[in-house]
Amino acid sequence: MIGRLNTKSDISDLEAILNGNKKAIENEYIQFGKLSALVIDDISAMRHAISSQLQAMGMNLINTASDAEGALKRIESNSYDLILCDYNLNRASSGQHFLEYLRLEKLLSAKTIFVMVTAEAEYAYVANAAEFGPDDYILKPCPEKKLRSRLERLFDRRTFLMPVINAIDTLQYELAVSECDSLIAKQPDERWLMHVLRLKAEAQLALHDTENVLHTYAQAVSIRDAVPWVAMGIARTHFLLKDLPAAEQSAKDIIAKNPNYVAAYELLAQIKLGQKDHEGALHMLHASSKILPSAKRFRSLSESAFLLGRLDEAKQYAESAIRLSSGSMVERSDDYLSLAQIQTDLGDHRSAILTLEKSARKYEETGVYGVAKNAILAQAYFDSGDMDKARKLIGSAQRLVTDKTESSALTALGKVAIKTGDLILGFKLLTRAVQSGGKDKEHIARHVTKAMKDCGQNDKIDDVIDAGQRRILDLVEEATKAMRVAQFTLAFQKVLEALAIHDENIEALLAAAQLHLLWLKQDGMDKVVAERAKDYLATLDRLVPKNEKVMGFYRFFNELTGV
Amino acid sequence: MREVLSALVVHDIKNSLALLEMDLEQLNHHQDVPIEGRKAYKRCIELKNRLVNFLTLYKHDQSGLKPNIREIELSDFLEDMISASQSVMMSSRHGHAIAVRVADSRISIAPNVKLKGVANLDDYLVDMALESALNNAIRYARSSVEIWFEQRAGSLSFFVLDDGPGVTLVENVEQRTTSDNASSTGLGLALCNAVVEAHGSGNVALTNTSGGALFALEFQYTE
Repeated sequence: MIGRLNTKSDISDLEAILNGNKKAIENEYIQFGKLSALVIDDISAMRHAISSQLQAMGMNLINTASDAEGALKRIESNSYDLILCDYNLNRASSGQHFLEYLRLEKLLSAKTIFVMVTAEAEYAYVANAAEFGPDDYILKPCPEKKLRSRLERLFDRRTFLMPVINAIDTLQYELAVSECDSLIAKQPDERWLMHVLRLKAEAQLALHDTENVLHTYAQAVSIRDAVPWVAMGIARTHFLLKDLPAAEQSAKDIIAKNPNYVAAYELLAQIKLGQKDHEGALHMLHASSKILPSAKRFRSLSESAFLLGRLDEAKQYAESAIRLSSGSMVERSDDYLSLAQIQTDLGDHRSAILTLEKSARKYEETGVYGVAKNAILAQAYFDSGDMDKARKLIGSAQRLVTDKTESSALTALGKVAIKTGDLILGFKLLTRAVQSGGKDKEHIARHVTKAMKDCGQNDKIDDVIDAGQRRILDLVEEATKAMRVAQFTLAFQKVLEALAIHDENIEALLAAAQLHLLWLKQDGMDKVVAERAKDYLATLDRLVPKNEKVMGFYRFFNELTGV
Repeated sequence: MREVLSALVVHDIKNSLALLEMDLEQLNHHQDVPIEGRKAYKRCIELKNRLVNFLTLYKHDQSGLKPNIREIELSDFLEDMISASQSVMMSSRHGHAIAVRVADSRISIAPNVKLKGVANLDDYLVDMALESALNNAIRYARSSVEIWFEQRAGSLSFFVLDDGPGVTLVENVEQRTTSDNASSTGLGLALCNAVVEAHGSGNVALTNTSGGALFALEFQYTE
């Protein structure tokens, strides 16, 4: 049986500590001396105390940081085995914000064990943070023996799972699945087996291998019924398979048993969106933010309420998102832009101007922010009756527009152009916003629709939405037809034309990737074609990570090139 | 305002005690630490635990404890609990070490239990309650203390058995678990009841067995 690699110290060890016999606590199996750690705490005495505890366990490579920014610098230049992070870092950033940031930016290796140190009052926030949860959390004050037991267990687990973790860390999900099978073949005890199954399911989900992932979950259920992560995985798989009623039922079952399971509410919100039940989605997001308030959740809530035209609610949520992220590393310029847009739509142009002036002190007037800020400011000045200023600001925004300008900025600028009477420019910009499409096609269409309704252009909505998508889709359709009759050069021309309109349009990129794969299959290995195929796939993987179709293309590409 | 100030002061004392405990813990790693250093460490642990227990009970009385439930591997939990237990670390009243162990042979799980060997509990609170029971058992034990769990459909019980004199007529449950003996964390029974109550329903009992006193902490739930 494979189980814990170390045995627990008995009372004589504990007495030995009191008798000052340090050797007694040196672990035989886990070589703490080879492990590195980062201790993050804003209180110097606590940093010192925890570091001393780790040193007493035999660790030598210990760094400390007093805040998230300092910790980030350390993490960017070092790979730590362990991060012990205090929840309450300072007024602006919590440890949870920091962890969320590290996970979103993919700055944490799967090998790094992240342990949140919390006071009792903050415990619930960490415990419910399923998606961005730490590997473990400990309550302070934590005596050395308790910390040591936790760490031993976590490192034991990491050692056992290391082949899988290595594969996941390098995005080799197929290898991860086979490493899981090797570990399962060793017949580990139940609790270790459940960890392996969890990682196997994670890798299969990354591969969008929905058929086999359901087998993995069935295996987990046969060992332990009613485990929340298994139920959650099953619900997610139903969602991926577009079986929304089954996904909804599974998510509701989880909530019935675990009313604080935030991830289940968030999945339900996605399901409701899929069912076009926008009110229902808002309700679910609201429930999740009640359990675990975060800037990210309030941001989603604010957007949902905004799209439903519930501007007072949207304003409250946008303010909460700013309040919770202000001064922290998860602070985002678009929170200010959203709030200012809501304030403008509420007719409170004065507050909108103040919000944007406040944001201008923090962000450079470039890129998406520059375009959107000037566009919303133009709306506010237009509403206040200052037409000249509004026109100047529209000009400033236009000068900042590039091929890369995102749909949100184009929508804001399109809206003010229509408001000020420049319908041609307005429709052109909104059409471009729709063209940027891709994974958020529906979402962008809702924003554009709302902007047009706000400007009284209801009768033109279909035209703009259709025109935006039609041009690219027509070209993609022509490319697909040419592909079918093996006219690859012609197909490539059409794809390039579609990508010239918007180089990150998902449909066009999918067509480009498919074309190059067919090309390779038909004409055999060609370095230039293979390189282009790889580039298109990489762009797609960046834009729509873990997409089933893209994963399938990758598998096909690997087969063709023998990678 | 007075309440806010009191809360600030008490938590400041608690945190300072915790830091002092960590400092003394490190000091006690040195070979040549004087006996006073070890005594100070023990006293600091007792005092901090007493304060933490008191604060937990106070919270229970004021607003009710809100458990933070998570999935616990019961065997791991008990092993960790013993290996990190500060009560275990402190010597018994007889001045010699008491052997404390998880009694694997006594662990029983009914076949109809859905989550075998696993429970959804607030491990911090349950650890606190069991630590209090363990503290008592060690004080009264002759040479050994055993701890284990029994899982039935709809209930989970933890047991702590010592080989001491048992609960005598003059020494009833209340006295045994709320003793103001210097090595006691006190408030034991009330704390255990509060922890059970926070999880829903259950029972706390201290009974005599042929070999000593048996403490039981039972949690009831619907599967």
